[in-house]
Amino acid sequence: MKFLRTRWLEVTALLVVGAAVVRGVTVAADVTQGDVQRIMYVHVPAAWLAFLAFGVTVVGSVAWLRSGKPHWDRLAASSAEIGVVFTGLAIVAGMIWARPVWGQFWTWEPRLVTTALLFFIYLGYLALRRAVIDPVERARRSAIMGIVAFIQIPIVYQSVNWWRSLHQTSSRNSIDAPLRVTLWLAVLAFTFAYAVMLRRRLELSLLEAALELRQLEGSQAVAGAAVVAPSLEKAGHHG
Amino acid sequence: MSFWRQAFEIARKDLLVESRTAEVALMTVPFAAVGLILIPLAIGTDAPLLTDLGPGLFWVVVLLFGVLVILRKSAVDGGPQRDLVRLLGIDPAARFAGATLATSLLVLLFEVLLGPVVIALYNPALDGWGWLFIILPLVATGMGLLGSLTGGVTTSLGTRTSLTPLLIAPLALPLLLGATQALESLERGRSILPWLALLAAVDLALAVTGVLAARPLEEAII
Repeated sequence: MKFLRTRWLEVTALLVVGAAVVRGVTVAADVTQGDVQRIMYVHVPAAWLAFLAFGVTVVGSVAWLRSGKPHWDRLAASSAEIGVVFTGLAIVAGMIWARPVWGQFWTWEPRLVTTALLFFIYLGYLALRRAVIDPVERARRSAIMGIVAFIQIPIVYQSVNWWRSLHQTSSRNSIDAPLRVTLWLAVLAFTFAYAVMLRRRLELSLLEAALELRQLEGSQAVAGAAVVAPSLEKAGHHG
Repeated sequence: MSFWRQAFEIARKDLLVESRTAEVALMTVPFAAVGLILIPLAIGTDAPLLTDLGPGLFWVVVLLFGVLVILRKSAVDGGPQRDLVRLLGIDPAARFAGATLATSLLVLLFEVLLGPVVIALYNPALDGWGWLFIILPLVATGMGLLGSLTGGVTTSLGTRTSLTPLLIAPLALPLLLGATQALESLERGRSILPWLALLAAVDLALAVTGVLAARPLEEAII
């Protein structure tokens, strides 16, 4: 019982992901595309999760700027990391889907290009975090970057509407009911998976912060031992 | 001293430093021109193809080489300069506005100097060229704002010269899209107002973010 109480999120995520996998494999395939269409149950939820993760990064960034509490910075950073992973997954799944449907892995299609750039924007955000050593300074700079980076999200989302290209517009309500139910189940499963990953990453970042503090204290002790106040007695001796 | 007066003085200081070295006019523009000469050697010197590609290449070069305008030495204040500005009681938002104004003017200068080079080398169609009086300043303002924001978050970092382009280039996508699509719409006889609206909206969003973030950024930079 104690295990269920402390690990209810992981257990629920496992059940929902399991149900989504079974449903995704067993539901009837799309008549036109066949089995390859099943990759939609990975591609669409991964893209949705990327948006969600980057949205959480903005929330964490704004909250840190308002309160200065370290856990908001950890939330923003952890969510951005997961967001980058899911953006990469959405791109790769999209490319695998595109090969049989469009005849090539990559086309110069607005949704693909804007999503790829979104991936690099958040890679830049993570690179910025690594470049700053002081935790407070890092949090402040990253919070501003986390907010600026979010400007890209509406452009990625709207790209299929602004430029009518190969990528279809939102189809969640236009597809057949069995496929739609499966897609929503996959979205739910991915969301639970995100929640589990975020929780784990937050626990890890807490340990990282403690380690960073210990290393900082350790290096201060070394510097403190090396730099000592001048002794009057010795100064008199040399003088 | 009023907010705008402070911003104006900061911009004047940045432009004065720039005028002493003329880094943009004498170094960045020629470097970009070399880039525009080299591109056809790589993709082919077919005249109709280059005429089609000219406007797009102009914006790509403005975006990529414009990063050098943002990263120019005159945009970098050392620790003593920053301390002096703080001690003078300059409002961080005014400092952001001033730095943005100076960078935007220099990016605009960069665009204006590079325009004839593209026309001479690529012979692009110049339908509706009058709209450039609106498009060029909108893009320059966006680049200036992005430069001040990303330059602010990377100030005094050892990896500044590598990190800033990585942050700016993908974030400048809306500016590139707005500019290229506006010119394409002109060529096809469609309305360009949605694209101008996109450019203006991005500029506004960046300006609001920049002004709000100016004080926290000031505190972050030691």
